[in-house]
Amino acid sequence: MPEQGAPAASPPRRPVYRARVERIRDHNADTRSLFLGLIDGGQLGFVPGQFISISLALENETRVRPYTVASSPEERDAIEICFNQVPAGVGVRYLFERKVGDELQFTGPFGAFTMDRVPEAECVFIAEGTAIAPIRPMVRRALGAASRPPLSLLYAAPDSEHLLYRKEIEQWSAAGVNFVPLLAPAFKLYDRLIAETQRRWVDADSDRRRHFYVCGVGKGVLALRDLLRGAGYERRAVHYEQW
Amino acid sequence: MARIRVIFENGDPERVIEFNPAEAPFHHDGQPGSILDVLLGNHIHLEHACGGNCACTTCHVIVKSGFNKLSESSEQEEDLLDKAPGLTPTSRLACQAVIDDPDAEIVVTIPRYTINQISEGGAKPEP
Repeated sequence: MPEQGAPAASPPRRPVYRARVERIRDHNADTRSLFLGLIDGGQLGFVPGQFISISLALENETRVRPYTVASSPEERDAIEICFNQVPAGVGVRYLFERKVGDELQFTGPFGAFTMDRVPEAECVFIAEGTAIAPIRPMVRRALGAASRPPLSLLYAAPDSEHLLYRKEIEQWSAAGVNFVPLLAPAFKLYDRLIAETQRRWVDADSDRRRHFYVCGVGKGVLALRDLLRGAGYERRAVHYEQW
Repeated sequence: MARIRVIFENGDPERVIEFNPAEAPFHHDGQPGSILDVLLGNHIHLEHACGGNCACTTCHVIVKSGFNKLSESSEQEEDLLDKAPGLTPTSRLACQAVIDDPDAEIVVTIPRYTINQISEGGAKPEP
C-alpha cells in the first residue's frame, strides 16, 4: 500500500568523494579556481566537459550544486573548478569562503556535454566567461589528438580580465587554434556571439560538417543552438550546455 | 488537489503526494511545480546532480500514467534524455516536467539506475 506522510525515501547510494582544497587561484576580483585533491588518494576519472556535484553544508540544510571540472583528466595532482560571484548565489558564496585545507564532499562526474572522442571534422568552441571551464579540457584533448582537426575558439567576456586562461589560450593559438576573442557589454554578449557565429560559420561557406561545443549562461546558448541547427548542422554535432 | 504516486525501482515503499500546483515552488531546485520540485518539497529524495538545471539525467523518471498532464518537453530536455540510460517513450527529466493541472493524477517510477556517469577510470570513491 502506498504510504502517506512516511519518512523520506532512502537516497541512492551514490559514491561520495572527499577532497581537500589544495590551492586557490584568483583570476580576477570575482572569479576564482579551487584545486581539489582527493583525500583518500587516487584520481577522479572523468571526461572533458563533465561536472562534479558538490555538497554545500549551509546553515540549515545541505544543498548540492554542480561545478564543471576545468582541468584535464590527465592532470594527476588536483581537480580544478572555476566559478564567479553571482547575485544571491549560495553555492559560490560558500565556495568563496573555503580556505586551503578545507574539506569538501562531492559526487560525480556527471553531464553529457562532453568530448570523449575528438571529431574528425573541424571543431568550433564557443563560450563566455567562466563557461570556458568545460571547453578548456576539451581543447586540450583536441590539441593532443593524433589526427587533429582544425580548431576554433570564440570566447567572449565583458572585458579582457574576464577572458580566463589567457596565457594558455595564447599557447593554443600558437599551436594553431583559431582564437577569436570577443569583448562586449554583458547585455550584448550573446547578440555579438550570435552575429559572429552567423558570419563565420553560417554565412561564410556551405560546409556543414563542423562540430560545435557551446557553453554559457542563459537562453543565448539555446539561440546559438537554434542558429546552428537551423543552418543545417547535424543535431548531434551541435553540443551545448546552458547554465 | 493534484496527486503524484511515486514508485521506487529500488524497492523503497511507494509514496503518494497531494499538492496544489498553484502553491509552487515547493523547494528551490528544478522548474517551479516540476516533479522534482514537488518531490523535494515533500522530503522525497530524488537525485539532481546539476541542481535541477537541465544539464544531466540523474532526475530521470518514467511516467507510468498522466504523461499528457505534464508540460511539454523542450528540445534541451529531449537532447539530454537521448543520453539517459534506460530511456523509454514516457521518460522525462523530473526537473523539467511541470504539473499545473490541479486535477492531475501522475504515476512515476524512479529507475534504479539513473546514473549519468561516464568516466575514464580513476580512483574508487568512498562507498
